[in-house]
Amino acid sequence: MTTPLIKGRDEQGRRIGSMDFEKLIREAARTSSALSLEVYGQHNIGIRLQRPDGLRINVKGPSGQRLGCMGMPGTNIVCDGSTSDDVGYLNIGAEITVLGNATNGACNAMAGGKVFIGGSTGARGLTMTKWNPDYARPELWVLGSVGDSFAEFNCGGVAVVCGLEAKTPKNVLGYRPCVGMVGGWIFFRGEIDDSYAKNSARLAAPNDEQWQWLCENLPIFLQNIRREELLDTLLRRDEWQMLIAVTPQERAQIQAGPMPMAEFRQKHWNRAFGGDPLRDIAPGLLRGHIPAIVQGELRRKKPWWINRESAAPCAYYCPIHIPTGERLRLIREGKVADAYELLLRHTPLPASVCGAVCPQPCMDNCSRGQVDEVIVMQSLGRAVGEVEAPASASSTGKKVAIIGGGPAAMSAAWQLALAGIEAHIFEQDDKIGGKLAQVIPWERLPRQTWEKEVERFLAMPGVNVHLNSAMTKEKFLELKENYDFVIVAAGTHEPRRLNFPGSERVIPALDFLKTSKSANPMPVGKRVVIIGAGNVGCDVAYEAYQLGAETVTLVDIQKPLAFGKERENAEKLGATFRWPVITKAVTEEGLVMDSGEVIPADTVIISIGDVPALPFLPETVATIKVGGAAWITTGPGHQTSDAKVLATGDVEKPGLATDAMGAGKTAAEFIIAKISGQEFKPFAKGLVPPGALTLNHYAPRTVEASERNQAERCLSCATCRDCHLCETICPTGAISRKDMGARAGDPFGLKGNYVYASDDKKCIACGFCADTCPCGIWVLRPLP
Amino acid sequence: MVSTRSTARTLIRPSSLTYVDFPWIIEHREDRCTLCGQCTSVCPREAIHLAYRRKRQPNFEVFGQKRGSEFGVFTGIKQETRMANSCIGCGMCEMVCPNDAIRPVPNDNEHRSLFFRNLNGDSYKRGGRRNQTGPTLLDRILFDRISMLTDPALDAGRHEFTVTTTLGRMLPPDEFLSRMRQGEWIPPTREIFPFIIGSMSFGALSPNMWLGLLQGVAYCNEVLGLPVVMCTGEGGCPPWILKSPYLKYIILQIASGYFGWDEIIRAIPEMQCLPAAIEIKYGQGAKPGDGGLLMWHKVSTLIARLRGVPPGVDLPSPPVHQTLYSIEESVMKMVQTLSMAFDNKVPVYPKISASTSAKSVLNNLVRNPYAGGMVIDGIDGGTGAAYNVSMDATGHPIASCLRECYLDLVRQGKQSEIPLFAAGGIGKNGNVAQNGMALIMLGASGVHLGKYIMQSAAGCLGNEMNRCNVCNLGICPKGITSQNPKLYRRLDQDQVAERLAETFQSINTEVKKIMAPLGRSQSLPIGMSDAIGINDQAAAERLHIKYLC
Repeated sequence: MTTPLIKGRDEQGRRIGSMDFEKLIREAARTSSALSLEVYGQHNIGIRLQRPDGLRINVKGPSGQRLGCMGMPGTNIVCDGSTSDDVGYLNIGAEITVLGNATNGACNAMAGGKVFIGGSTGARGLTMTKWNPDYARPELWVLGSVGDSFAEFNCGGVAVVCGLEAKTPKNVLGYRPCVGMVGGWIFFRGEIDDSYAKNSARLAAPNDEQWQWLCENLPIFLQNIRREELLDTLLRRDEWQMLIAVTPQERAQIQAGPMPMAEFRQKHWNRAFGGDPLRDIAPGLLRGHIPAIVQGELRRKKPWWINRESAAPCAYYCPIHIPTGERLRLIREGKVADAYELLLRHTPLPASVCGAVCPQPCMDNCSRGQVDEVIVMQSLGRAVGEVEAPASASSTGKKVAIIGGGPAAMSAAWQLALAGIEAHIFEQDDKIGGKLAQVIPWERLPRQTWEKEVERFLAMPGVNVHLNSAMTKEKFLELKENYDFVIVAAGTHEPRRLNFPGSERVIPALDFLKTSKSANPMPVGKRVVIIGAGNVGCDVAYEAYQLGAETVTLVDIQKPLAFGKERENAEKLGATFRWPVITKAVTEEGLVMDSGEVIPADTVIISIGDVPALPFLPETVATIKVGGAAWITTGPGHQTSDAKVLATGDVEKPGLATDAMGAGKTAAEFIIAKISGQEFKPFAKGLVPPGALTLNHYAPRTVEASERNQAERCLSCATCRDCHLCETICPTGAISRKDMGARAGDPFGLKGNYVYASDDKKCIACGFCADTCPCGIWVLRPLP
Repeated sequence: MVSTRSTARTLIRPSSLTYVDFPWIIEHREDRCTLCGQCTSVCPREAIHLAYRRKRQPNFEVFGQKRGSEFGVFTGIKQETRMANSCIGCGMCEMVCPNDAIRPVPNDNEHRSLFFRNLNGDSYKRGGRRNQTGPTLLDRILFDRISMLTDPALDAGRHEFTVTTTLGRMLPPDEFLSRMRQGEWIPPTREIFPFIIGSMSFGALSPNMWLGLLQGVAYCNEVLGLPVVMCTGEGGCPPWILKSPYLKYIILQIASGYFGWDEIIRAIPEMQCLPAAIEIKYGQGAKPGDGGLLMWHKVSTLIARLRGVPPGVDLPSPPVHQTLYSIEESVMKMVQTLSMAFDNKVPVYPKISASTSAKSVLNNLVRNPYAGGMVIDGIDGGTGAAYNVSMDATGHPIASCLRECYLDLVRQGKQSEIPLFAAGGIGKNGNVAQNGMALIMLGASGVHLGKYIMQSAAGCLGNEMNRCNVCNLGICPKGITSQNPKLYRRLDQDQVAERLAETFQSINTEVKKIMAPLGRSQSLPIGMSDAIGINDQAAAERLHIKYLC
């Protein structure tokens, strides 16, 4: 059977168009499995031609672009000379041999089949190839060299570039091959310029398997291009190299940087500075990586267990700083006797003052009030009314004279006596107690309570009372000479008066109240007006009613300051308040106001305060004039400008009985410190900060106001109650409790016999301990 | 008696706030919380704490005897409602929570707390940038000139690109040639990557951050071949770095505070190479008319040593250089002194805040033979510390200011002589290459990045919903802007460097992706405004670019 010859030119020598030529070929291929073509620049020769028994096409003459385009398996095309662009374009199986060169774009988008080039190729060979794993890989064989941009976006194609008789022998793969190559590989032999895309392909020597493949297939290539004689020249393994597509995983590593940062730091960074670049200006500065959650010194803050570092509101606001919380703790611990003794070591008059006359600043601020009701303090004071006095220390042989016998004096004497220092009270009246005894109505300070406590006071060893002892300058100096210290606690017994017409008709409240409590009270008229509507004025009103008054009016130039029980008592009896009232005169008719209005009165009493009477005071004791009277100036220990003289109570400034007692206690402590040669430390604790307590641990409830119940209700502000909640909440198990046993010289357990501690190695400073502690003991403080 | 009285006792003040008054609300799920304490431990503001809450179960029995209430307690993490401890939304709690039980959520309610940022009479100061969310003008610029079959198509992945720009004064060709022939002085220039790390001082940044940036810059130059440079800011530069070969990657800034210049001058004789450039700071986009504001809590021993000041003091820089009185004098004195300091071999240029006076400065630069360029910093620029009112309301957006200056140069035929650099808000929404290239096509020779770099390289948490933004307080939870080693050690220098390298690799690719469709590969499309457009007619007119719709 002869091979049909199809010519690319008609009889007149005119070129047949590509479309018509393709029809001629297709027609011929229907009947013949071999064709011979004499082409004249027609494109797409061999496109989609296939025969079941195979098809052989021989091409002579100048072939156009895309020879073997969309070639099918079984089709075999041989081009006797060179060919134009895009040989094997989208080829899926044909074998195409070009004995000469091929120009640009050889094997573009080829997915199968083989292209054998007996010469070299132009630019962009083997680009965009595909490979479907159900079929064999596409192959491009080139005897010489390939042009620039070879194997761009190669997805599966295999190329073999032999570098023999190459167009560009110095660079057989051209400039920048393998850009975007994701699959396939390239065998090559000869020099390259190293411009291949490093993030797409890697250079390697063929392994045994690859070399085996090359050895098996080279002869086929050479046979196709009719150059079998070159086999020996080409079979030198050490002359072959490969460019193999990198995997995405390898590429990810390359993209993370061609050099690991740790290596860069060692090889470049450290060398650039010859060491740490901050070594001169910040030697030893730690800059290493640390986590966000840290322990130990790396924390920005840390917890501190500040048991008893601050004061509960009761102790803080109490002028005597009675540690009520500690006392309630002792009751909770079942140590009732100790609890009472603790109180008596702070005050000789718990029932009379805490239990009766004190307006109780302690309770105004009790934290329990934020849960339900404040602790009931009066019953606590009264409970100790008849308890025996604590034992005093053995005598020190020192003695102190105290001028005056009121609450300040009693408090100072009590403390001194307990400390083994003889206290001598010189009282000008015929009874001890000062204004507590002289002017506070029995209604507010029950007589029995008072007398019991005075009895206990007088029975205290070391307390000596000298009644009816009026003080003079000479006597004072004598006392100063004979005693180690003198405390002036004479109070204010000089009523303050006002000057207006008829002021001689006005009775001072102090005189009135003193006689009211005596056997011979002053008579009062039916209508009483009291100038000065404070608490003392209310006491006056109460007494006036007791003595037969029918109407009592309290007047003041400002809004009355009276409060609490005193005001309640007065109002209950019918007392009325008028303000602002400025007194112009007092006549037989009554009080004349500056407006001319008269408030009718049979008796007018003035109650605008008392001032100290200190004619006995030597000049060595400095005073300050305020409001027309002299007051003694004192330091934190109540010391005066005279080293042997102290002053306490109202002679410093007017205040509550409790203020006077607090002052007396502090003055005594100053003396005790001096005598024992220790440093005097006044009460200096701060108030437990608001919000430090965790109140929600406590449920509100209503209970009877018994002492036991108060102990249970106490929140133990600023004092650890040993509840273990911190230990329980700590998420890292850093907190533990350590038993210290009873401490010497601490009968009431005020220093605690255990501690809680947080382990710095475990603690992450979350602050849960502080957020949990019911008592406000744990705090977080900055850790610099 | 049924509940605690604490609420009844709460005194209401004008500044009493509840958690819904704050911009960020802590959402805590008790059902997921394991009470591990990590959230309260990590919180930079002490804005959350463990709370015990009372639960009351009333017992209702109409006829029974058991009436009353039972009380219980449940725990949870609660948000503080004091201004000093307000949640800043940084989300560190969320980051450390093992159970996803806690997170800050932005509050879309009105924020009454905004009215109390002036407690104690203090004005609100913060770090970050202008709190304005949404796409910026730069985000809206499109590159619409695309070569397909009309020009040789370029492929960003395949073709080789030269993505550099020139920093320094460029002479006109005839003058250049004539000076060459005469052997006269030719102004120094540098070929640098057009995305520059803008001025962030050693002090505003922590040591780990600052050194991490420099390490990343060195890596870009020496390993990746990207000629990235960074500017020191006004806090000086550690002496060993001044004496190292890396100085060539550093633009030294001189500002009105003059911090660290004694060390720089001391190091001049020992310098192995010249710095990339000298930047004279006259203004900053984030706070025009105001100077640096480094507060005492960031002036650590190290910072004090570097800046030549006592530790623990406030370091407010004056708004202006104290010895300058006019534009002419400023340009002449400063540019010439600093040019001479480095033997006239280093480009020297000023940085100003974008404003209506930018053109006046520019025209003085044009007349000054030593001026090597100009940086214009727009209102969206970031800062470590500024008054909120300066940041939010003072200044001028970068695009129109840059454009006006560029067109002014074009009218004088000088656009190829004085390079303009733009800053302020580039990459505000993450579109760093797009924003930068938009500005380049509007006429910038390059752009400065600050905040974007902190976000990209170090994971800065700040955003324009006022998240975090506490750079000024030294409590940066990522350790970027703190001088407390307990915080800045959270930041690993190597990792910053790594991220910086990744960032610039990616910018480099995206720049090519933008350049390729324009048919450009060998020179930046500076001023190539025919390639851009915007879907806003007013903006298009103002910028002299196409209106796209």
